Amino acid sequence: MSNTFCGRTRRQFIWEVGAGFSGVALAGMLDNGFYANQAFAADGKTAFKNPLAPKAPHFPAKAKAVIFLYMYGGPSHIDTFDYKPTMYGRDNQTIEVKTFGRGGRRNVGRIVEPRWKFKQYGECGKWVSDLFPNVGKHVDDIAFVHSMTADSPIHGSAMLQMNSGKILSGSPCMGSWINYGLGTVNENLPGFVVMLDPRGGPISGPKNWSAGYMPATYQATVISATNNPILDLKRPESVAADSQRQMLDTLRQYNDEHEIPRGDNSNLKARIASYELAYKMQSSAPEATDLSKEPEHIQKMYGLDNPRSAAFGRQCLMARRLVERGVRFIQIYSGGNHNDANWDAHGDLFDNHTLHAGETDKPIAGLLEDLKQRGLLDSTLIVWGGEFGRQPVAEYERGTGRDHNAYGFTMWMAGGGVKGGVSVGQTDELGSKAVENPYQVKHLHATMLNQLGFDPNRLSFFYGGLNQKLVGVEHTNTIKEVIA
Amino acid sequence: MKVHVGRTTLLLASVVTVAAGAISARPAPPTAAKSSIGNTGALAKSAVKILQENCVACHTGANPSGKLDLSSRAGLLRGGVSGASFNKTKPEASLLIRAMRHDGRSMPPSSKVGRSDTDTVAKWMAAGSPWAETGIVIKSGPPQVDDYARNWWSFKPVRTVPMPKVKDTKWGKAPIDRLVLAKLEQNGLKPNAPLNRAQLLRRVSYDLIGLPPTKAEVEAFIGDKSPNAFAKVVDRLLASPHYGERWGRHWLDLVRYAETNSFERDGDKPDVWRYRDYVIKSFNDDKPYDRFVKEQLAGDEMPDAGTDGLIATGYYRLGQWDDEPVDPEQARFDELDDIVTTTGQSVLGLNVNCARCHDSKVDPLPQRDYYRMVAFFNSINRYGNRSHESVMERSMRPIASKDVVAKYQADLRAHREKLQQLDRTIRGIEQKAQKTFIPVENQEFRDEFKRPGLLKLRVPNVISQAEYDDYIRFLKERQETRENPPPGLETALCVTEPGAKPKETFVLARGSAAAPTEKVEPGFPSVLVALDAPVELNPDGSPTTGLRSQFADWVTQPSNPLTSRVIVNRMFQHHFGRGIVRTTSNFGYTGSKPTHPELLDYLAGRLVSGGWKLKALHKEILLSNTYQMSSAPSAAALKKDPENELLWRVDMQRLEAESIRDSILTASGQLNLNIGGPSVLVRIPDEVLAGQSVPGAGWGLSSPGEQARRSVYVKIKRSLTVPLFAAFDAADTDTACPVRNTTVVPTQALSLLNSQFIQEQAGIFAKNVAEKYTEPAEQVTEVLWRVLQRKPTTVEVNRGTGFIAKMTATNGNNRMDALKQYCMVALNLNEFIYID
Repeated sequence: MSNTFCGRTRRQFIWEVGAGFSGVALAGMLDNGFYANQAFAADGKTAFKNPLAPKAPHFPAKAKAVIFLYMYGGPSHIDTFDYKPTMYGRDNQTIEVKTFGRGGRRNVGRIVEPRWKFKQYGECGKWVSDLFPNVGKHVDDIAFVHSMTADSPIHGSAMLQMNSGKILSGSPCMGSWINYGLGTVNENLPGFVVMLDPRGGPISGPKNWSAGYMPATYQATVISATNNPILDLKRPESVAADSQRQMLDTLRQYNDEHEIPRGDNSNLKARIASYELAYKMQSSAPEATDLSKEPEHIQKMYGLDNPRSAAFGRQCLMARRLVERGVRFIQIYSGGNHNDANWDAHGDLFDNHTLHAGETDKPIAGLLEDLKQRGLLDSTLIVWGGEFGRQPVAEYERGTGRDHNAYGFTMWMAGGGVKGGVSVGQTDELGSKAVENPYQVKHLHATMLNQLGFDPNRLSFFYGGLNQKLVGVEHTNTIKEVIA
Repeated sequence: MKVHVGRTTLLLASVVTVAAGAISARPAPPTAAKSSIGNTGALAKSAVKILQENCVACHTGANPSGKLDLSSRAGLLRGGVSGASFNKTKPEASLLIRAMRHDGRSMPPSSKVGRSDTDTVAKWMAAGSPWAETGIVIKSGPPQVDDYARNWWSFKPVRTVPMPKVKDTKWGKAPIDRLVLAKLEQNGLKPNAPLNRAQLLRRVSYDLIGLPPTKAEVEAFIGDKSPNAFAKVVDRLLASPHYGERWGRHWLDLVRYAETNSFERDGDKPDVWRYRDYVIKSFNDDKPYDRFVKEQLAGDEMPDAGTDGLIATGYYRLGQWDDEPVDPEQARFDELDDIVTTTGQSVLGLNVNCARCHDSKVDPLPQRDYYRMVAFFNSINRYGNRSHESVMERSMRPIASKDVVAKYQADLRAHREKLQQLDRTIRGIEQKAQKTFIPVENQEFRDEFKRPGLLKLRVPNVISQAEYDDYIRFLKERQETRENPPPGLETALCVTEPGAKPKETFVLARGSAAAPTEKVEPGFPSVLVALDAPVELNPDGSPTTGLRSQFADWVTQPSNPLTSRVIVNRMFQHHFGRGIVRTTSNFGYTGSKPTHPELLDYLAGRLVSGGWKLKALHKEILLSNTYQMSSAPSAAALKKDPENELLWRVDMQRLEAESIRDSILTASGQLNLNIGGPSVLVRIPDEVLAGQSVPGAGWGLSSPGEQARRSVYVKIKRSLTVPLFAAFDAADTDTACPVRNTTVVPTQALSLLNSQFIQEQAGIFAKNVAEKYTEPAEQVTEVLWRVLQRKPTTVEVNRGTGFIAKMTATNGNNRMDALKQYCMVALNLNEFIYID
């Protein structure tokens, strides 16, 4: 997508209401007739040229959607998926190891032995800790990258990097790039959705799903698992449905009359149509997030029957429903707020990770299983991980708390044209740093874009005198070993 | 110390320079292209120049964009990743032409090539794209600081513009009109008729103060038959204190004004609102623009700038600040980059930032130039070093006058003395009692609050009741004194430096703080400076190096061709909805070119000769016939010039987020027009607060009256945006925002239909109207007046009364419910937020 435009001229004004898309075929993107009439407003006649109209990527995509399961706070890789057998029995040994966390740089530390046992799963025989017995059953669909590195071991900047590629704020997040590059095939729903942990958002809040220098059109919509899933979606209770319809009809009469002598201004028509679309969204969006019609066995599959996993389970199930309805990028946060309300296990590692893995293991496994049985896993890329991992040694004199570790950590992907049952890269025997095939966050981003059909080095947006890219200005490779 | 302005060694080889022929920035007139079909030489020359000026910056070199190399005919024929750019059988359908016409894809990305230029290229391609006879050789490599660069339109001195001849001398009497009309006449176009008076007043009111006119103002203007009726309106609006709120906000967009630091804590910037008030006041006072810029860059070094000068340098403190950076030195350079980027783009219209890691690939800006500019700012103290105390130390200074400071110090001394006196007296009584303490009592005595009890046990044997009563009284007095120190001095957020000795600056390889290479001295972009210019340092012992003052002097010297052009272009942009140069912060090779270069230079010249005062120039622009044209379409003109490049009309504009909110509050009668002071906190729905790591942290709620203040006074928190502002494209706060987006999306409709804010305001609006009028027709008329500032037609009134009658009869609505719903209709009208 080198045919970008600058966000800072009046041209964009025209572009944004769709005039620039006249040459882009809608039909080529779609699977069936379900979306055929989506470009029309509720009255069935007004064509709404949406800035998020579907666009074709650079080449045929393997993944049509991404679900990013974001483990906020930084899960410990050596306690979850990066098996370090030689560490067992070495608890409390003082060793020389270079670390860099919130506590600064250190050269010596006290080993905290992994607090869980590992078992082998699947045909590939992948070792997974007892924190994830259900996810373990799906390892043959998962590609693990054990040699991830990030530029910062501090939450704020590292989260921005994981979400936007830069440690400074102001750049568009991954979902915005996808919204911009692909548009959405369902105009009644946003293309980029974020679901938050009930305990709160992550630090820096909305900066983690901002569109940065792109128009706000591309930023995420926060969806909650309530009957009012999107801000301002719900009609006020004091206004009857009929009344609102009548009000919109009268509004339409005034607006049509105003528009006729100004017929060359396509924004006026677009805004008229946007009211009809908004009216339609009021019923279609709640339908998408309504889980009551999901059969009991599906609800159980996601752990909705267990209070511990129900909240994250509902979000995973909603994510599947949104993917089915054409949403492109969904990010679900496990963990919110501060301290032990997320994976940031500075205090008691055992309590912290037991809590957060316990909340997510069953829902994640359910999501993988459900997508697979529906044939959706092939076209849906699942990404799991946090902004960094955790150190092999203790942060304090006593206790099991681990400080942040950006020198090496694990992320995994599944579905969306990613190989199953593979593990890429390695950390050293302690998990202190990536030693084999180290990868950076930009390589992960490049891989995600690649699966969506983009050349990561060509998906660009002209801003500030530069063709800006999610992966940065230097040529960036994908993580080839995970691509099927 | 000297500035060295020599040729720069270029390290990278991937951009463009022109070897032959000084290239004029002026596009070939369309007529020339037409007449040259038989003469491919001239046609080819024009076409290749157009490619050169618009495409080749990116499409050449070692790694051309999209693998398309447009620096030679061979490259053009070969095409790029998107396929062949030239369709031999159907030249008109060639990818290159379609991209230039923004058909399917849009090239160049920053701006559209004018229609006549694209036609020229199309004709040239139809003629087989001959190239050899043009004599133009485009060679690869970063743009050089060469004659081509120095002759680039924006780097050339501002010219004195000769006035062209026009046919319609009545319309084209004023210079602005004459310059616009000449181009229209050349292209066989006529200027649009004037806008009607009510709409003109609406346009100019929103334009100058961001608020609609009152009904009385509309009626007075319509009734004023004097020839200077409009001039009187313009004078009134320019004198309004709300002018600064509107135009100050434009400036705040450019300097990415925000009141918090971003990152994990997103902490408040102390007293930053004083900078916002300084900007508003500067516009209201018609402070000369050169002075305004100078104060922000170096007000602390200007002997006559006083408190305002110090507050102005808050400019350096507006950016994001990571209080726990992973690499502090790199973070310091990121902060300097933020300053260089913002200053370069906003004041100079140059993407100096593109030369941070290597020579700019698109502009004649070598990497050395970037670091020479950094050198002016390199000595400033970082905003802070982690703690709040460090911010206070490095970025906060008292702004009280000498008298106030002297009085404060005297008060503080008196306060301290009083406390000491009380301590002595209290101590005396305590010591008397202490003589009889047993050891455990001595230990208890350490707790201040246990002392009265210990003393009481010794009444009357050791101390008398009277002594004890005095003791209690003194304790109380001491407590009160402690709790009431003299009020602290007012402080300003400002720039500081450690002293007169500048920090050495090096070119950083690939922009990495860990890879310093060549040492550089402070200096201005070499393309703009013909000779070495000395840079003087402040004498030893001074609080600052003095370098920023010299940078400010250079930026604002009248001969600087960018500063005046950039600001008058921004004025034009806000008056007309687009700049003469549409890329208002990019006057470089990848920016769009001025549609009216003579007009741009005329305005720049007027600004400087008028002492850089904006108000006089506003007036000249607003009183032009050009500004007063209607926005109505004309079939003939649309066919010739669909993009209104030639200004045959004024484009319609959508209100900005702030004006939308202010206008809703105006309609409901709630708007609080108080000026200045600390920012206010308006309601943000819980669903939005839930996105914060600690929902509600750093936010709150001002009193209802304060919440109804103008939007420019609503607190700007980087990690939390008021939803209505976000929906209507308020400025991003991480980077300079030269042009607001104007998106049209359904979430805006949801916000204006269902949000608590709009529902509340519509209710108040209805109640307010019902208190004044009882008849439905009167109510409808009043509602429409308040949102449209014109007399509604009978059809419009009848439609409203019909709606109210129908609504009242259904769904259990009473009359007030129905009127509220009608107010909702009014607040959602296209005419409400689109200005003719």
